[in-house]
Amino acid sequence: MATETRSSAAAGAKPFDIVASYNELLRSDPDLTMPIAAIEALVLLLTKEPSSTISETLDLLEKSTTILKKANPNPIGLSAGTDLFQRYLITTLQRPGQLGPAGDFKAIRTHLLTNGRLFIRRAKESREKIAAFGRGFIRDGCTVLTNGGSRAVASLLQKATADEGLPSAVRFRVIYVLSSFKNADDPSGEPEGMETVRALRAKGVPVSTIPESAVAYALGKTDMVIVGAEGVVENGGIVSRMGTYQIGLLAKAIGKPFYVVAESHKFVRLYPLGQYDLPINQHVIDFKYDDDITEQKEEPTTPTNGDRQIELPLCDSVDFTPPHLISALITDSGVLTPSAVSEELIKIWF
Amino acid sequence: MPSTSVALTPGLASFLKSLNTNPIDTSIENLVSLLKRRQIRHSRSCATATAYLLLRVISACRTSEPVKLIERVQSVGRRLIAAQPREMVVGNIVRRVLGLIRDEAEDDRDAEFALSEAGSESQPQTPRGFDDSSLPLDRDMLRTEADRAASRPPLTSMFSLLSHPVEDNSPASTPGTQSPRGFPGHGPGKDVRAEVLEGINEIIDELDQVDDQISSYALEHIHSNEIILTHTSSTTVQKFLLKAASKRKFTVIHAESFPNNHDATHATVSGASPVDEENLSFEAFQKPLIALGITVILIPDSAVFALMSRVNKVILGTHSVLANGGLVAAAGTRVIARAAKVHQTPVVVVSGVYKLSPVYPFDFDSLIEYGDASKVLPFEDGDLVDQIDVQNPLYDYVPAELVDLYITNLGGHAPSYLYRIVSDHYRKEDISF
Repeated sequence: MATETRSSAAAGAKPFDIVASYNELLRSDPDLTMPIAAIEALVLLLTKEPSSTISETLDLLEKSTTILKKANPNPIGLSAGTDLFQRYLITTLQRPGQLGPAGDFKAIRTHLLTNGRLFIRRAKESREKIAAFGRGFIRDGCTVLTNGGSRAVASLLQKATADEGLPSAVRFRVIYVLSSFKNADDPSGEPEGMETVRALRAKGVPVSTIPESAVAYALGKTDMVIVGAEGVVENGGIVSRMGTYQIGLLAKAIGKPFYVVAESHKFVRLYPLGQYDLPINQHVIDFKYDDDITEQKEEPTTPTNGDRQIELPLCDSVDFTPPHLISALITDSGVLTPSAVSEELIKIWF
Repeated sequence: MPSTSVALTPGLASFLKSLNTNPIDTSIENLVSLLKRRQIRHSRSCATATAYLLLRVISACRTSEPVKLIERVQSVGRRLIAAQPREMVVGNIVRRVLGLIRDEAEDDRDAEFALSEAGSESQPQTPRGFDDSSLPLDRDMLRTEADRAASRPPLTSMFSLLSHPVEDNSPASTPGTQSPRGFPGHGPGKDVRAEVLEGINEIIDELDQVDDQISSYALEHIHSNEIILTHTSSTTVQKFLLKAASKRKFTVIHAESFPNNHDATHATVSGASPVDEENLSFEAFQKPLIALGITVILIPDSAVFALMSRVNKVILGTHSVLANGGLVAAAGTRVIARAAKVHQTPVVVVSGVYKLSPVYPFDFDSLIEYGDASKVLPFEDGDLVDQIDVQNPLYDYVPAELVDLYITNLGGHAPSYLYRIVSDHYRKEDISF
């Protein structure tokens, strides 16, 4: 029965379009992270699609997750959310008697369906928590180098400027590495992170913006690097905005600490062995002949959504920073070493 | 300050002696000033003094209400830490005692909880969150549940995002969770204070036995005919080597660590009983390595790099270990660790768990203590002292990547695993109290 409803949805009929609702969620709230949007989309799905048995629900989730992943050029972030949701459901069901004695499943279902807003709020609160943990890293007089448009980093830096807890506000400087790619979503065409730059400057923090090519030059004047992450993988490495890997390598070479700020719901069960091992279809390296270029001018290619995974636009491309380059992960469950990530993941999977 | 032990030089021994006779506030003052004047140094002495003082403080407390006990220990702890912030073991012991009290209080509350819950036939909005794990080993999960019951923020599981809302959505449960906190006396007749005192005694026992426990791993790490390099007169390292020496023959290269520890190092090597009466109970009756037929080579610190190519293993003692796997140890340690790295020689750090601090080293410079400059350049050379700035840092910060293995009384751990031991030993809410 579930199969029927799903197949009709996949065909683009009425029932419930998980991809659309996921994209809508992301659009409607700029503060929403991909995993949370995915969880929200699944919650909406469960509200719309009636399912009364456990296996029916799991099946429904599984199918929608696959659809969602296929439709998204970069499924790493959202798969953290869908996995967490699925594991939560399964683990809770395996331990009977905690959310109500007999009507177990119903209780969990109602809990999940009625608390969608709460999850979003908690996710946002976790950023606050991270900021509280990470505050200690930013000392008076230090210079922080950062990149990308991570909201967690932005909230950490802003928290450091206006601190009620400490007697005097910390004075620090920020070097912001701006991407050379134009931000596709932004009509003004300014690179990612300008908003944070403005916000920090408004708070009286001196911010310098540099191009990616100047990172090695600027690191000498930097005390630490703080970056955000799209996903934190099992070995403690991070999947993050293109350019993060090279900052990590340079920071290691110059001997500056490299900290990652990420919410723990971004931990994803993935074990990439290298840059080209990510489940993402991105053509950063694209060899061309003279003929290809003339051909491309004639007919600009449109991304086709066939059976194949659609391609990630260049401005959204990501890279993988291996764990040995990371000094520490500042998460909402504390300051962790990269190897602690696998333990957190093991806790929910096994 | 009235002191009953006039004959003794102030130190750990005199402090412990006076502890039972002096009123409690005098004892606190006493320890604060001893710490400030650095008359109690060495991690273990500080830890022992703190543990005994807290034992007195708690037994002198007339209440057995956990909240009051925690407040009392916190206030004493803050004063001790303020007296000597770089002696991190003091904070560690205070945190462990706080953790003990909290554990006992929660045991109490849980017992009570179970009773009340049995009556209410566990409704969906019972305050037991999802994390009330039935897995026997996962202490963190269990704690998480307990934490939430007391509506404290720290949560360790990734599931905390989705877990059953307790804090907001079930206001009915709030009085239920709060009241046991306020009236712990209603518990099933368990004396929290007695349990805590027992716990502190266990910590004191641990402090006594820690070196022996660590040395029991010696034979796994030291093999025949190896050349071991060590530094400073650390008792832990000495016991470790002695244990191995009882079975195996190897060579020890001992760097002398001038100017702060060279006398003690010489004494350790030669077996002459040290003058320092603080260490009387530990070292004086100990045979030196040479008595067991071990070749010991004493070298100045400056020769470490030259000899490193011949060394099979570096074994180091430490002042304290930090949560990120880095350590604060006697000055010169970093040079040795760095030299070992260059030669790909394994670096093993032996340290009791009590030295493991949950503090994250945000600012390395603030961890380094500076000592008596006259040890570097005696004041007799007045002319020179006038013209130059003499510094004598006592400690070094050694980053985690220079250490290959930690051996604690719990066994061997990789530096990246230390966070786990930290979370096992200290409660999150106590990390900054």
